[in-house]
Amino acid sequence: MTTEAWIQALTDTRVGDRPEPETLKACCADVYASDWARMLLGDSFHPGGMQLTDRLAEMLTLRPGDRVLDLASGAGASAIHLADRFGIRPVGIDFSETTVERARAAASEAGSAAEFAVGDAEDLDFEDASFDAVICECSFCVFPDKVAVSSEIARVLRPGGRVGIGDVCRDGDLPPELETLFGWVACISDAYSAHDIAAALAGAGLRTTGEERHDDALAALISDIGGRLMTLEAGAKLGKLTLPAGMQFDEARRVRRAAADAVRRGVLGYALITARKPE
Amino acid sequence: MANESGVISRGAAADSMDSAHAAGAVFHELTRSLCPVCRRVIDAKVLLRDGAVFMHKRCPQHGAFEARVYGDAEAYVNFARFNRPGTVPEAFSTEVSHGCPHDCGLCPDHEQHACVGIIEVNSACDMDCPLCFADAGRGYSLTLAEVEAALDSFVRTEAAPEVVQFSGGEPSIHPQIGEMMRAASRRGIRHVMLNTNGRRIARDDAFLDELADIRPAIYFQFDGFDADTNQKIRGEPDLLGEKIRALDRLATIGCPVILVPAIEWGVNEHEVGRIVEFGLEHPAVFGINFQPAFHAGRHGDHDPLRRVTNPDILRWIEEQTDGRFRVSDFFPVPCCFPTCNSATYAYVEDGEVTPLPRILPMEDYMDYIANRVLMDVPGEMRRLLEELWSAASIPGTGDAAYAFDLACAACGLPQGLGGIEDIAGRMFMITLQDFMDPWTFNQKNVMKCCKEILLPDGKQIPFCAYNSVGYREQAREQLAARQPDRDRARRTGEPLEIQPLRFEFDHPGTEA
Repeated sequence: MTTEAWIQALTDTRVGDRPEPETLKACCADVYASDWARMLLGDSFHPGGMQLTDRLAEMLTLRPGDRVLDLASGAGASAIHLADRFGIRPVGIDFSETTVERARAAASEAGSAAEFAVGDAEDLDFEDASFDAVICECSFCVFPDKVAVSSEIARVLRPGGRVGIGDVCRDGDLPPELETLFGWVACISDAYSAHDIAAALAGAGLRTTGEERHDDALAALISDIGGRLMTLEAGAKLGKLTLPAGMQFDEARRVRRAAADAVRRGVLGYALITARKPE
Repeated sequence: MANESGVISRGAAADSMDSAHAAGAVFHELTRSLCPVCRRVIDAKVLLRDGAVFMHKRCPQHGAFEARVYGDAEAYVNFARFNRPGTVPEAFSTEVSHGCPHDCGLCPDHEQHACVGIIEVNSACDMDCPLCFADAGRGYSLTLAEVEAALDSFVRTEAAPEVVQFSGGEPSIHPQIGEMMRAASRRGIRHVMLNTNGRRIARDDAFLDELADIRPAIYFQFDGFDADTNQKIRGEPDLLGEKIRALDRLATIGCPVILVPAIEWGVNEHEVGRIVEFGLEHPAVFGINFQPAFHAGRHGDHDPLRRVTNPDILRWIEEQTDGRFRVSDFFPVPCCFPTCNSATYAYVEDGEVTPLPRILPMEDYMDYIANRVLMDVPGEMRRLLEELWSAASIPGTGDAAYAFDLACAACGLPQGLGGIEDIAGRMFMITLQDFMDPWTFNQKNVMKCCKEILLPDGKQIPFCAYNSVGYREQAREQLAARQPDRDRARRTGEPLEIQPLRFEFDHPGTEA
């Protein structure tokens, strides 16, 4: 599908008529591989940026030499950063081939040993008990089958291994403009509450060891997206930037405001959750 | 009837409310203010009359007072819809004990975190202006350690503070001002500003070199062109040459400048348009922050019933720029209070001005603008555009299925940095900021104030409370009393112990 077609599909499809899981996964992967995502999200695709990535790593007590799996590693920023900062050996997987290539290029440019591969979080291509830790930033919310992902995490962790999830949390009803496929891709409509994330992990035998709220980081990210959107809209309307067809500023502004309101009302937030596989 | 000083009657309660009941006045709301004489907290009526907004109040000891607080009654009432929930700081520095405005600060009753921290590094100045809210003169000169303590407290309460402004006195004459600005940058504070009269910049080459290295934004006092203006406000008729020289020198080092004119009725309201035109033309200037002259600290005779307010300046801008900027191009900024600040951003090319509100629905972006520094949205836009540029040049992008063509339509440079420079470099900003004085003080606004004076002991005091309630005088006295200790510490190299500042008020609470 073209970007324009995705944008149309994103805003028109209500989550009530839930699409096929494979369509969802492909759509998420494509959108996050697109330049739109980078234009609106900047260098780091999750709230709090590297500061919250560091915080998650601290909560997990990552140690030099640890083999760490990064689920939906995107352009590789977190994995490369954590390898440098904590001396871990990360492997990042992502559903999008484009994104994986981008991450590999970034690693080679940074001289990082971080490895990247195409993969599906619901069906991991790794041995049992092959990782010391798993991290998953702002992507648990977009995996269609969270039970499968949880059991895969549990399977690839060694006994005593830790998992750290940083994710958008949802407590309560959302306005209709967020209950779309776009809302899904934007980590919103299928986000769990922190309690339910912990429960999903517990269902796979992983015991919660920590939870921190960072709702302000989500508010800041949404505000920054506003700045980027405003800059793009100004550039487009002044005739200074040529944007791809299909950019609907009205819709984008409406969705962004609805998300900002939802954070303010406490319906949406951001949490770091850690759990451990028993010895 | 009010006389020249705005005092309607002293102590005669019987006739003190006559003005409040003037024909056609609408009682809009009740708030709390101050007695301009004894500074005790008193109730105040906000009245809508003749299309403007007035504050009427009575002190049991000093009688009734009335002041003009806003020049557009309709906007004053309508702007309530721009009020947004405040964001509170990470930590507070004081407790609630006497009640607002006597517990600063910030105390847990404050409704807004600090967008801007202001550090007055000294009280001395190399000018002697008739209008000076800081009442500059002999007194104190903080040590680097004291300034660092204030910065550390700011970092503690804000987590990631965005703006620190160094002020005074005249901060540029502090021998360690360069180290102080660097200390702020080192703490990750993104925007460091220097609030200056520009004299040292005009005269001192070494100082200019230091600024070129640190690159702060310059908040540049500039009241107009007429000798009479500069005589009345600054006490020096021949100031213009020095101002222009300073601005030209700032242009050579690429320090961004915001002109800061204080506008006083009967003095320089006729220069508003010319200041805008000058700002649009001068290469160093990327914005103007108009401020109605306010009457705290040192000021001449004034008539509170003829006080300049933001809507007046907006009308003068429209009239005097032939509508290049119109009143409707400006939007209220939610913090502090929507009536405290108005702003617009404009794209300027070949003399053609396109205010963004004419092409964008600003209300949809207000949360972004509000939580950002009022002063640096163009700078932020530049940062975002540069980020975009770097995103577009990440290796691998060319292979992306949806490679994005960041073309510059105007100059035909595909994926050219030209487009980015074009937009960010041509953004111009005009903001208006009305500070309160003891005549116009409204406690409701102060509780949402986001511009705080940072003191060495970690207290943060809303700017308008600092100037109007009595904090400034008490802080000045205590900071000056420690000057011998500072001088001794400088001589001996021994550390100076930072002591807490204590504030006491004769009339805490609301006896009135």
